[in-house]
Amino acid sequence: MTAMPDVLEHVEQAQAHELDQPYLLIIWNDPVNLMSYVSYVFRSYFGYSESKAEKLMMQVHQEGRSVVATGNREKIEADVSAMHGFGLWATLTKGDSA
Amino acid sequence: MARAFKNTRRGLVASLEATERQLLRGLFQDVITLLEPERTADEDPLWAMVGMDPNAHHEDFAPPTDRATKRLLPDADPDDAGASLEFRRLSERGIREKKIGALREAALLMESSSLLLSTETAPRFAAALNDVRLVLAERLGLESDQDAERIHAQDDWSKAETVDEYLALVYNFVTWLQESLMQAMLKSL
Repeated sequence: MTAMPDVLEHVEQAQAHELDQPYLLIIWNDPVNLMSYVSYVFRSYFGYSESKAEKLMMQVHQEGRSVVATGNREKIEADVSAMHGFGLWATLTKGDSA
Repeated sequence: MARAFKNTRRGLVASLEATERQLLRGLFQDVITLLEPERTADEDPLWAMVGMDPNAHHEDFAPPTDRATKRLLPDADPDDAGASLEFRRLSERGIREKKIGALREAALLMESSSLLLSTETAPRFAAALNDVRLVLAERLGLESDQDAERIHAQDDWSKAETVDEYLALVYNFVTWLQESLMQAMLKSL
């Protein structure tokens, strides 16, 4: 039990550091990927509402890219991996360099 | 002629002709061949179980050189080649295995004339169709929305004379099938 305060302190420091520099998940436009497929992936994987998924998908389509999620490096790397699994063109970047 | 996907109580159902199933099975297998990692005879099966690549830690580990394979497995951080390679070391084998699993399942589904997909199977089948389209697109030089329109305009099998014209028609067929599947899947979300 006495170890708890130490552990929590470390966790809070780590989280604060990651919030300073969150990573961004970017989805790029690929003329192959169907708009319906991209919307489906945004809704099913991220749990986004129909309107949010449509808005992000249209941004990818019209502007060439969209920031679809943010988070710490580990989370965004897992997202990139999942997006590549679906066949979407996904990259990650540090929040301050986008 | 193939019949588009529709929602039924049993799942998502479509039907395909024998020649269409044979074509799709061949395409799924082609993409599996592209994605299969080279295995060494003495490879520890534990690597495969955890989805990691024993070659990933060799000095000569590099991104795929084939353009279609690279389109299936793009760089994670285009501004940082080192970070992209590190991502590949940790993730690429797992992504390959996941894709191959979906493509093998899709190829097996081609054994039957009526195609029945459960809610668990449907997203994997959609991903397999998408990977086939990415590979065909790379072979066709499809890179812009204009290219997509040019290829989409080809719709007459009796006029296909070149390999590219034939591939374009195949691409359009797989696109039609995936779009019909997505409409059915979006309705059941």
